[in-house]
Amino acid sequence: MATRVIVACGSGVATSQTVASKVARMLKDKKVDAEVQVINLREVDRYIDGSAAYISIVKNSKEYPIPVINGLAFLTGVGKDKEFEKLVKAIQDYKPV
Amino acid sequence: MQILQNVVNFLLGLGAAVFVPIIIIIAGLIVKMKVKDAISAGITLGVAFSGMSMLISYMTGAITPAAEAMAKSTGISLPITDGGWTTMSTISWSWPWAFLMFPLVIGINIVMLIIKQTDTFNADLWNVWGKIFTAVGAYYITKSVVVAFIIAAVQIVLELKNADFHQHRIEKLSGIPGVTCTHKMAFLAAPMYPIDCVLRKIPALNKSFDADDLKEKVGIFAENHILGFILGVIFGIIARYDVAGILTLGIQCSTALTLFPVISKYFMQALEPISNAVSEFMQAKFNDRELFVGLDWPFLGGSNEIWLAVIWTIPVTLVMSFFLPGNEILPFAGIINIAIAVPAYFVCKGNIIRMIIQCTIFAPVFLWVGTAFAPFVTELANTTGAVALESGQMISNSSIDGPIITYALAHIAQVVEGNFIPVAIFAVWFICFVFYSRSLIKEKKADMASGNQE
Repeated sequence: MATRVIVACGSGVATSQTVASKVARMLKDKKVDAEVQVINLREVDRYIDGSAAYISIVKNSKEYPIPVINGLAFLTGVGKDKEFEKLVKAIQDYKPV
Repeated sequence: MQILQNVVNFLLGLGAAVFVPIIIIIAGLIVKMKVKDAISAGITLGVAFSGMSMLISYMTGAITPAAEAMAKSTGISLPITDGGWTTMSTISWSWPWAFLMFPLVIGINIVMLIIKQTDTFNADLWNVWGKIFTAVGAYYITKSVVVAFIIAAVQIVLELKNADFHQHRIEKLSGIPGVTCTHKMAFLAAPMYPIDCVLRKIPALNKSFDADDLKEKVGIFAENHILGFILGVIFGIIARYDVAGILTLGIQCSTALTLFPVISKYFMQALEPISNAVSEFMQAKFNDRELFVGLDWPFLGGSNEIWLAVIWTIPVTLVMSFFLPGNEILPFAGIINIAIAVPAYFVCKGNIIRMIIQCTIFAPVFLWVGTAFAPFVTELANTTGAVALESGQMISNSSIDGPIITYALAHIAQVVEGNFIPVAIFAVWFICFVFYSRSLIKEKKADMASGNQE
């Protein structure tokens, strides 16, 4: 099974899906096998288990047990490559429990 | 010429679920997508249209009889079904001229950047539909595509200006530098500003409290499946259904609200490659200049104040809908009203008490504007076949973004028929906007000056 990463936004529709489509395409181009799942911001806690990374587009006050990637970078283009490397590393390092 | 006309008519006759995908495949090839990816995007868009159409029929099938039964039991008739923003975007994209809005948005942005009238680059090409929506309203009033696009152009310019003015405050509130909000929902902040000036003078309203705990407790009510079920049960009770009927309506309403975001995602999936190609083009073109990137609202979604204001507005809107004179819309899919909470958050600088007051004051505006737009939206849905509605059924949205300006801009051409109200509304909005933007600029300058001293 492909490794899962999650993306969340307020409605779980517009912004998160834009980021997800973009990340999914970048991963595919790099031949990294991973599934990018879009969820609602209020569901994050439910999905943390079993995910290799959380791509966040809001400022987090909370700590998460998995690597958190700055999703805004994929929208603004600023620091995009660095965040993408972080994501790829998180996927490669991920060991399912 | 005749042949071309026939081809166009043939394509339009196929319905939105077929002709819009054809347009996006062509648009995809123009922005140099691979043929296979363009076709994939096109078919995904067709799926999105059919899926939304199916879901909207399902929703109206459940809500309409309940609304009729409620009208009988209470004497209050709310015949317009509330399809929320997802329905509005589906119907907007089905307007035959919709895709021309892309070059207009990008073109105006480029010109404004070159002549240094803005520092914002709008990367939120998904919300092109918000411009299409206003244009559709203007088109149905004037029957002129040109006028519709001129009005949309005014909105695009105002959005960029509004985004420029808001950038500093957004950075302060969200802690995220370099971004701003180009969404038209932020327009409502201007008319909220004079009210906030008054509210700020009342010392008791300047207190704030920690929203975290409260949000943990009541946050569940803003989850689509829970909220849908509660609304269905309330409608069932008012309609005097039996227990089985009440619970069934609860699950049906829950199903509709749960599936709306699921299906809307396909729109995003289909449009993302085009929007991405444009973003990358713009970023490369203005590489040497420091620009603010204009985004949709969700990067602010980490703010608990916004969620609390949204949750507060749900019962307020529902109760008002039954008693507000001139309202004909039964709030449902649009009841999670982000478009009221986000501008309140900007104006009140996140003060939750003042935000709640603003949301209460402005809730009726959303119901009236939702009612006013129902005829255009319904007519467009019926002409393009984007949504299958039974005859006589009406559809709209109880949370149209930036309701005041959307109403004013769409109706402004009525001035030639002697209706000066939309012009007057626009003028009042504009005066508020001028004063509000001055306060935002002043705040930025003051912060910069004190920052330099440190």
